[in-house]
Amino acid sequence: MSRDFDVCVIGSGAGGGPVALTLAEAGYSVVVLEKGPWLDEKDFCKDEIASCRRSTYTPSLLDERHVLEQRNDEGVWEAESTLDSGWDWWNGNCVGGASNFMSGFFHRMKPDDFRLLSAFGPVEGANLADWPIGYENLEPWYDLVEHRVGVSGKLVEHPYQEPRSSADFPYPPTVEHPISGLIDKACRDLGYSSFPVPRAVLSRPALGRNSCLYTNYCGSYGCSSGAKGSSRAALLKQAIRTGHCRVRPHCMVSRILSDQKGRIDAVEYIDGDGARKRLDAEIYVVACQAIETTRLLLMSTGPRYPNGLANSNGQVGRNLIFSAGGIGTGDILYADLAPDLASSLKVRGPFVNRALQDWYFYSDPETGERRKGGTIEFLFRHANAISQAVAQKWSSDDNLVWGKPLKDRIKTYFTSARHLRFEVFNDWTPVDDCFVSLDPREKDKWGMPVARIRLGYHPRDLEVGRFLSRKAVTVLERLGAKNISWNVSGSPPQNLVAGGCRFGTDPKASVLDLDCKAHEIDNLYVTDGSFMPTGGSVPFTWTIYANAFRVADRILEALGGPSDKGS
Amino acid sequence: MKRRDFLKVGSLAALGPGPSLAPADAAGASPRPSGRVLSEPQWATIAAVQDHLLPSEPDAPGAREVNATAYLDRTLADPKFDPDVKKLILQGIGWLEEISQEREGLPFPQVRPARREDMLRKIARTRAGERWLSRLVTYCLEAMLSDPLYGGNPGGIGWKWLEHDPGQPRPTPDKIYGRLGKA
Repeated sequence: MSRDFDVCVIGSGAGGGPVALTLAEAGYSVVVLEKGPWLDEKDFCKDEIASCRRSTYTPSLLDERHVLEQRNDEGVWEAESTLDSGWDWWNGNCVGGASNFMSGFFHRMKPDDFRLLSAFGPVEGANLADWPIGYENLEPWYDLVEHRVGVSGKLVEHPYQEPRSSADFPYPPTVEHPISGLIDKACRDLGYSSFPVPRAVLSRPALGRNSCLYTNYCGSYGCSSGAKGSSRAALLKQAIRTGHCRVRPHCMVSRILSDQKGRIDAVEYIDGDGARKRLDAEIYVVACQAIETTRLLLMSTGPRYPNGLANSNGQVGRNLIFSAGGIGTGDILYADLAPDLASSLKVRGPFVNRALQDWYFYSDPETGERRKGGTIEFLFRHANAISQAVAQKWSSDDNLVWGKPLKDRIKTYFTSARHLRFEVFNDWTPVDDCFVSLDPREKDKWGMPVARIRLGYHPRDLEVGRFLSRKAVTVLERLGAKNISWNVSGSPPQNLVAGGCRFGTDPKASVLDLDCKAHEIDNLYVTDGSFMPTGGSVPFTWTIYANAFRVADRILEALGGPSDKGS
Repeated sequence: MKRRDFLKVGSLAALGPGPSLAPADAAGASPRPSGRVLSEPQWATIAAVQDHLLPSEPDAPGAREVNATAYLDRTLADPKFDPDVKKLILQGIGWLEEISQEREGLPFPQVRPARREDMLRKIARTRAGERWLSRLVTYCLEAMLSDPLYGGNPGGIGWKWLEHDPGQPRPTPDKIYGRLGKA
């Protein structure tokens, strides 16, 4: 029976791109269905309104939203729609997905991140699980990503540097800001080992893409030069060049259809004109980012799957994880500095690119017990002018400020200091109370149930976040920063999300097998961050890319190796 | 974060009932245009409030210089603008004009600046009133610091005031919010 395509990939972000590229290069026909528009370098401008203050690359909350459940002060779970709260949970619905808008801080997970349960033992109230593969199994694909996506950096040894198969990064580091040297010195004085952060940003033209233009607007903005290693710029463009890959924007998959035997036999989608269509393929790959992947599987009931696809054991949507941690800032006041130094710090464009992993693992100061810590990342406050100005409208005692006092606050904020920021990344311990389900009431504009997310967290994550934040504060203090403040909470960063479809060897306790194929379905794979049982203490994107390339090779094997149709 | 909290309040209970949109008479002031959403009297009231929230100074632009009223009017005309927030912004004009009539016997744009401050401070003491004003401050600052293509910040006057580099490339008329990806 002839099918429309060999492989259908649902979602074009970091989980979908590697699969489309690998299989198209091997000569298989691939279709990528993306619900959002197809924007390109020429469409991405430094426009704060379009990029950060309105829904341009994401759906309007009037049309599509989420429902979030948070525990109130009395310990009761309260649900609120994101339309009501204004807390937008969309992360880039366009070709290339959220990878268009990442900052591209690229870190690998460490070997012990793959075996948290065995290395650190169980934690009460947590669902820790070892990964069914080890770091050494994923390392070749981490390495592949450095070359294919394009990772710039410079290897500097530090206590928890993970083993690597390549001596150094394929591209030199991006240009660094004068503050980076000051951070290094402060860290040296304190006995810490700061190191240059690898970035998924090209530091010189390569791979058919331009180098970074250092325009000072990276995270939250689409890249106008092509230097940022989004799935779109780095992978899908090359996939299309093979002649075997088609990307279809404005195609929202509404359901994955399965037959009486339990095999997937088609997807149903709604195109840009609102027409419901179907297409079929040999293999189906879901990569819609963790929350929407779960939602699609749960919506796709079939004769053999009354509870949704791959969900006979009720595990789909469970053990959702984020990046735990917090943020802090300090002001480097120009008035405290020699004029030359002050003017060098005013330079805009080059990156800070400094991180600390001295406490990626650490001994508990009280018990001496070895504990899992995390990563501290240093960066300047985002250059967005409107958000910086709007933040000045509240006084320290929470009153609205206006008139001349507001203007004075804004002027001072913009012109008297650089605002150095740190971000702490530590493990979001998987717990029963962090999961995705379908909301029983709220529907999107097509009448489909929206995802409902319960946002529970383990109190231990906050302890670790505070421990790391205090370490980060010592660096800001050493730098002479003023007005230092920081905050660690259980409120998750919605753009750093994974889990929900754990991979594992036990079909009763996991959704996917070692190859990220659904245990109970032969032609369904999940290749976004959903597979992760634990997330490490770093942003997930590099790991998602690496795993998707790994799984793409497994899919290629399942299809019978490179196709005759290829080259 | 909870941008909708104010909607639950419903009205400025402490200040009076009115969701009615007071037909403020802006006589005396130079005639103000009406916009896509704002009627002429609404425009006048909003302009007076914005002028107070973000005053003009000899060496620093205010709401007037950055075309804050036209910017807000255009923002409210966006079909994807949250209809409940739009309703609140328009209702707030009615609340303010009612208080102004009650206390001063004058439409707000004709009230002396010192008395305007008193009135706005009183409004800010209620949850809904504070959020109404907070929204207006936000849109004033958007007008000050967004790309001139959105109707505010003429010639980058706001960026210059704050020595802010807005980055390159700048948007072109076909790439701004509302048009991008729609062609």
